[in-house]
Amino acid sequence: MKNNLRVERAIKNITQAELADLIGVSRQTINTIESNRYVPSTVLALKIARVFGKPLEEVFMLEEGD
Amino acid sequence: MKTRFLFPYWCKYLGVICFVAHVPVVLFKEQLGFGGAGTNDGTGLFNSQHIFFMVTTLLMLTGLVLFAFSKERIEDEQISQLRLDSLQWAVYLSYILLIVSLAFSNHQDAKDIMHLNVWVPLVIFIVLFRWKMFRNSRYIKDDAI
Repeated sequence: MKNNLRVERAIKNITQAELADLIGVSRQTINTIESNRYVPSTVLALKIARVFGKPLEEVFMLEEGD
Repeated sequence: MKTRFLFPYWCKYLGVICFVAHVPVVLFKEQLGFGGAGTNDGTGLFNSQHIFFMVTTLLMLTGLVLFAFSKERIEDEQISQLRLDSLQWAVYLSYILLIVSLAFSNHQDAKDIMHLNVWVPLVIFIVLFRWKMFRNSRYIKDDAI
């Protein structure tokens, strides 16, 4: 699964630490999601999408082979 | 995130204190009066040997368990996943070590190996988990955005 987290953060102009604070996770977690080393749970993905005010599919999308 | 079966964050420090506290007891066994022969015949409860065992082994084990299974400052699902992965690898590694060492030991050595196995899985778990946490924090790039 890939994601647009870095782009969405840039549009909203928030840092990884600020996003982490907003959804109550550690900065490491945001970093590992952005670099595709961790696939978040549905709850966490929904929380992230809500911060950006976008549907889930615009932030997270399936890749070939998923 | 709601987590079950984990100690509060401050228990990590309590664990370190317990673990560190058992070291001087082991080092100064003689001076503390646990080394003398005579009163302890190695059987029964609350004799010198039993108290020494409680002070050292149990203190060390309590310290390791508290340190290993305390919450992080910010506990989230990714850390839970890391903890679970580390636990799985720790069990694999310690059982591989146990099987290999038992295969090359006689009866007396096997007893010592089983004693070691009381704390080896916990230590392997702690090392793996801390290493993964360290590696994660190292990956963070300074995002000035």
